[in-house]
Amino acid sequence: MKRKLTYFLIFLLFFGFSNCKTKQADTSPKKVAVIISTLNNPWFVVLAEAASAKAKELGYEAKIFDSQNNTALETDHFDNAIASGYDAVLFNPTDADGSVVNVKKAKAAGIPVFCIDREVNTADAATSQILSDNYSGCVSIGKYFVETMNKKGKYVELLGLVGDNNTWNRSKGFHSVVDKFPELKMVAQQSADFDRNKGLEVMESILQAHPDITAVFCGNDAMAMGAFQALISSGKANQVKVFGFDGADDVLSSIKSKKISATCLQFPKLMAQTAAIFADEYFKGKLEFPKKMPVAVELVTQKNIADYETPNTKL
Amino acid sequence: MNKLLKNGLGLLILGVVAYNSVYFKKLDEVKKGNSKNTLDTKVYANSFYQEKILTNTDKAIAINKLTDKLKANPDETFKQYAHSLGIGNIRYFLVKATGKITKINENTLDFDVDGKPYSIATEFIFGNAVRDASGIITMTTFENTMDFNNVSAELNEIIRNRVVPDLKKKATLGSQISLIGAVELNHKHLKLNEIEIVPVFLSDK
Repeated sequence: MKRKLTYFLIFLLFFGFSNCKTKQADTSPKKVAVIISTLNNPWFVVLAEAASAKAKELGYEAKIFDSQNNTALETDHFDNAIASGYDAVLFNPTDADGSVVNVKKAKAAGIPVFCIDREVNTADAATSQILSDNYSGCVSIGKYFVETMNKKGKYVELLGLVGDNNTWNRSKGFHSVVDKFPELKMVAQQSADFDRNKGLEVMESILQAHPDITAVFCGNDAMAMGAFQALISSGKANQVKVFGFDGADDVLSSIKSKKISATCLQFPKLMAQTAAIFADEYFKGKLEFPKKMPVAVELVTQKNIADYETPNTKL
Repeated sequence: MNKLLKNGLGLLILGVVAYNSVYFKKLDEVKKGNSKNTLDTKVYANSFYQEKILTNTDKAIAINKLTDKLKANPDETFKQYAHSLGIGNIRYFLVKATGKITKINENTLDFDVDGKPYSIATEFIFGNAVRDASGIITMTTFENTMDFNNVSAELNEIIRNRVVPDLKKKATLGSQISLIGAVELNHKHLKLNEIEIVPVFLSDK
């Protein structure tokens, strides 16, 4: 009888604890993994922190993972997130093609993935991809380029990473306008990998072959600053107009001081916050999301720079 | 002999590996590879213009009414009348206007609507104003990023080839023009004195 009572008490204790555990699991907040291509670049740090902060504000647990621009490490982060029971991934991919497998893996595990700023080359793996409207931004910069060049002149283009979709969306948007004006002639088009030092080097060599250019369109602001440095060294800073893309602080200051002609301002916080909001809506039962959600970018020139000088313009 | 065979084989393997490790591609080929279009955007844009935009011109707001509303209550006016496929500050409005041509410029026409000055674009017909202003198009139509960009480009091509030549013919100094147009405005940095109308359709009245 005593033994039976002991067994009964053990059963009660076990049942009680396991019940407690179930209850705790039900009430614990959902977990959101923020997997970012690299935290070595302030742009992506803003993206990561904004996504994480918004997820926390919405009542979820959030953790940032740095892929260090390495798809293998990114795969480890996805494996880790799936094994640790994360409920959603806010994802900035390292590679449009190389990251597809990770998104598909998460989807197979029932975890929604919301891409931020960079896309993956597959239509049905990510729940939604929230991306800067690079093409339209470069349409507006192309239009401004044609106007300021008076529809004629020789120019060069510095491309970003050749394997990155953003590189080509920007280039295509720009050329969709500029190529309609036959007296604007592109004499060189080279990649400088979105890198400031490479932008400097490439521009130096282009200037030797084409000293008579009057403009350079760069796929991002880092390359624009590199190109501008090369123009200063060669004494051509006043002859060649420089156009960038991103809305980096140093380029905004250079537009104000009339060194750079224009850039397009992106909104990393808006993209990151939208991804977190989408995850929240998914948890609450929404299943239909636009596969691609473009986020408008804004043309900043010497004419409207005053509008973009306050810190909150990037929100 | 055996050693020679081994070295030869080793060299052959090394050669094959080296040959397959490095390859060169023209930038043009990479560009082509990136344009994975799934939609015939020319056909889509043409039917969208004919069957959706032209049949919904009654949704256009009179331009002076729009600017008055924007002055009085910009947030509410954006909420009620602005459209865009994406998110952000850039939004588009479908407008209607009847006014007089007061100046013919290289890229624009100066246009006076009951004492309020606007300009009509005749050269730079680019961007998403025509595609987005009616608010009929939705993101779910497109799976591919380049598709919705190309639809914009094709719609602008329609305006450039069909609407602008007709407009230029009619728009003599002092002539009266009635049109349906698309307008791009920045919600956060609203500039009502710089409104440029992209002509969408020339109406009789």
